[in-house]
Amino acid sequence: MSLGNTTRLDLADKVILGLVTALALLWLAPIIWVIGLSFKPNEVLMRDTRGVFSAPFTLKNYTDIIASSQVFSWMLNSVIVATGQTVLTLMLSTLAGYGFARTDFPGKRILFAVVLVGLAVPEQAIIVPLHTMFAAADLHNTYAGLIAPRLAFPFGVFLMTQYFRGVPREIEEAAMLDNASRFKIFVKVILPLTIPAQATLGIYTFLHAWNEYFWPLVSATKPEMYTLTIGLAAMQTNFAQTEGIGFLMAQAVFAGLPVFILYLFFQRHIINAVSGRVG
Amino acid sequence: MSLTRRLATAALFSVGLMGGGPIDKALAQAKTEITFARFFGACEADYGTSQDYKTARGECGVMTTLVNHFNATNTQNIVVKPQVIEWGPYYQQLTARIAARDIPTIAVMHTSQIGDFVRARIVEPIEDDLKAAGIDINDMTPHARRGVTLNNQIHALPWDTHSWPWHINGALFKQAGLVDAAGNPVLPKNVEELMAHAKIMREKTGKPYFIMASVAPADAGNGTRSFWTMLAQQDASLFPNNSWDKANFSQPEVRNIYAVFEQLAKDGHITKGLDGAGGLGGFIAGNGAVYLTGTWRIDDLIAASARPDTGLKDYQARIFPNLFKTDAVWADNHSWVMLRGGTNPQTRAAARVFLKYLWDNNFDWARGGGHLPIRQSMMADYAKLPQRTNVMKITEIGRSLPHDVRRQFGFQSLIGEEINNMINGGKPIDQALKDAQDRADQLLSRR
Repeated sequence: MSLGNTTRLDLADKVILGLVTALALLWLAPIIWVIGLSFKPNEVLMRDTRGVFSAPFTLKNYTDIIASSQVFSWMLNSVIVATGQTVLTLMLSTLAGYGFARTDFPGKRILFAVVLVGLAVPEQAIIVPLHTMFAAADLHNTYAGLIAPRLAFPFGVFLMTQYFRGVPREIEEAAMLDNASRFKIFVKVILPLTIPAQATLGIYTFLHAWNEYFWPLVSATKPEMYTLTIGLAAMQTNFAQTEGIGFLMAQAVFAGLPVFILYLFFQRHIINAVSGRVG
Repeated sequence: MSLTRRLATAALFSVGLMGGGPIDKALAQAKTEITFARFFGACEADYGTSQDYKTARGECGVMTTLVNHFNATNTQNIVVKPQVIEWGPYYQQLTARIAARDIPTIAVMHTSQIGDFVRARIVEPIEDDLKAAGIDINDMTPHARRGVTLNNQIHALPWDTHSWPWHINGALFKQAGLVDAAGNPVLPKNVEELMAHAKIMREKTGKPYFIMASVAPADAGNGTRSFWTMLAQQDASLFPNNSWDKANFSQPEVRNIYAVFEQLAKDGHITKGLDGAGGLGGFIAGNGAVYLTGTWRIDDLIAASARPDTGLKDYQARIFPNLFKTDAVWADNHSWVMLRGGTNPQTRAAARVFLKYLWDNNFDWARGGGHLPIRQSMMADYAKLPQRTNVMKITEIGRSLPHDVRRQFGFQSLIGEEINNMINGGKPIDQALKDAQDRADQLLSRR
């Protein structure tokens, strides 16, 4: 009997595996196509975008990117902005989340509701006042100008609040009995427990910051302050979609490489982040 | 900046303000940096240090080498610092820069976009600057001059005229028998003839008459430019009585144009579902007789036609034929503007020197960049380039959307998007016209 169940289970597993593999291949196809096109000469792709895996091939699309005198400074800008945004978002969201989950203060519910409303406000709706505000403060074309607008991250506060609420109060109470201060409890006891949630939030924030386009476009207007997404886009000719397809594809691969490397190191946490799990 | 240098600069300005001329002389000693905001891409790998603008190819190549050459050879110690921005969101970023007071000294601008900036008093007249620089404004071609003239004043230095010709696969025309005694393609003289020719083309070659990209957001321009061409050919205006806040999509002339596209799509005489790359590749592969795209593609298509493995045989460029009653074709210009607040006396003087340099070398932009020059004195040389004699008349009959129409970027897009909806989605013409009207009303009514 049990053997029969096992066999049926194996068959079901195989079917699922087959379906998942098929879907994965389907999902991978355009990515493989992009990578293939990035190694093809632009003049060949102007005539025909088929034959991705047949000669001629070229590295010129990549050498053209690297030959730009500013591409690595744009990459450095992206690293600074994405890292800065990630670290500061984690700090703010963690502190705010702890405050909402574990402390009482007047107006807490209303304030939390206001934070949640922020989830529903699209970026485009506030871009003009935000830009005006940063212009008035003379913060455009600075790292602060690129990092600060994204620090108010309602999703991060919500995520951390929910996570803190899931931490048993008994742990804190036990620490209090040992005469630990609230700050010490937060830093030494509670914070280490939130590492999975912070990893999730951190990766999510980093990826979002790395791929950000619209705000850097209007805030970092001096070429030396471009992030990688803006700089690479600026390199495109006006008719890149017809005469520079290989270059476009190489740009996509080049911009995605750091994130891909990040993914290799933090796979598990990224999958958790995407699937909504924080533990 | 040190106190000494500040005093020196202040003194320089004072001298300049009093006399005008001494600034130019003083520039010879002081290094002046001017910023130069443009699209056209970056191509450091191919042209990063090259100054050979006489042989450079493509918009990016010519622009980069021109600036390199100017920086290396000007005797006034002027340094032009390019600020390259992606084309698509260029105007959004430029507006953001103005709001943030990060204003470039010189910026590229389509003349179709200038109206919005002039009304906002961001772009100001520069006729005096051009004259002071030694630029003969009477040498501008009629279309270019119209493009930069608002309120009877010149607001920009025109840089080119670009337009909307028919790119023709001569071999397919021959195969269809649509050629004259000399073997030249016979182009239709009215809509009925166009439909008849398209039918013959389909029957004799199995290929559609038109190839046009129509799926990507950027492809909306293809239908739009054809629309403006055919509207101007009917001597019609979308804005009767110059009521710039109210477009009229219900007039028969507008319907005529939408009906052309509807008929072409229904009868399979125009391609469906192609993006820019698919359209260009398809034309080069010989999959259609007439490719609807800009003058900027002429050199690419000449080169593609010369390859032994090409399907594009006997390539020819022709002005969009007159299908109604008046010779006219859509045209626009790139131009250079100086934005309010973007200059001081020193950088303005330097900008004048650079604009004069660009004016002097306009031919090479036209040669390598694929556009028409804006100087009448250069047209004879331009005519010597391959296929260019066929499109020379554009500088006279080129027509643009009036400057008075606000938000032209969005406005032009919606016209082509509704045409593309008919082509790809089979949207009925009445619905397309109604939607175009509603969208136009919404766009133009906003303040």
